[in-house]
Amino acid sequence: MHSTPQNHAHPLGFLIAFGTGGLLALMVQFNGALAQYGNSLFSSWTAHATGTVAALLFLLVLPRRPKPFEPRPPAPLWAYLGGVSGAATVMLSSMAVNSPAGLPGTLALGLAGQLLFGLIADGWGLFGLPRRRISLRDFAALALVLAGSLLILLAGNLA
Amino acid sequence: MSPFILIACAAGLFVGLSRQLNGRLSLSTSPLIASFWNHLVGFAALTVLGLVVGDLWPASAADAPWYAYIGGPIGVVFVALSSWLVARIGAVNTALLIIGGQMVCGLAIDLLQSGKLSLWLSSLGVVLIMAGMLVAQRRPRG
Repeated sequence: MHSTPQNHAHPLGFLIAFGTGGLLALMVQFNGALAQYGNSLFSSWTAHATGTVAALLFLLVLPRRPKPFEPRPPAPLWAYLGGVSGAATVMLSSMAVNSPAGLPGTLALGLAGQLLFGLIADGWGLFGLPRRRISLRDFAALALVLAGSLLILLAGNLA
Repeated sequence: MSPFILIACAAGLFVGLSRQLNGRLSLSTSPLIASFWNHLVGFAALTVLGLVVGDLWPASAADAPWYAYIGGPIGVVFVALSSWLVARIGAVNTALLIIGGQMVCGLAIDLLQSGKLSLWLSSLGVVLIMAGMLVAQRRPRG
């Protein structure tokens, strides 16, 4: 089977990715606490405001990496719209949570949506990122993680 | 199909889209700069939405404890790391591992907070997720 450089990712990258998910769990926890004092729109709006300030501070404090020898081509304008898509997520997921889907249903369907997008994006190399051949191994990993996540969501719902 | 199912699925699709766009931006700038733009542009979009919908600043907002406000700075690190990852290990792997990490850590948080869990099911879930991570990170032979 052909393998692009992306298939040779270092195991460390996978640990970082797992830890990134842990950060997300923490973030959801704190933003959820904030939403209790208002609503999900207020919580997300505030988190984006404090996040913008924090990002500026990080950029000021952290050392800059040296400029690459060859100047990189500038990003297309649409690449700046990730935040709009994030804002849309906030709106859609709070609509879904308050629907018959409920919180576990929203989370489970959200996972399915993310993985579906990932398969399409990797398969076609969408939005300027490298195309990545989807292997049987990817599907096996996907099935295991999805099954495990559904069990955890179910367990939370039963308790 | 119920419209709610579509809406919940679309929320997940937009998470992936956002990650992909930020990943592309990080290639031309840096992951931290991409995270900065993500937050600034998202803030602008939510401000417009809040002005239309109203109730952007609820009366009880001032009562929130300080720690409720650190979700934003954590999000900056989260978006920067995801932008870095998606350009290197691909969208499927990034999504899989972030979901796995979120589930396992979310479980730990629940356990610490309430201690109420169906331990059997959740342990089996953790084992399946770990197995999925191992499968994903094994290098192809040859």
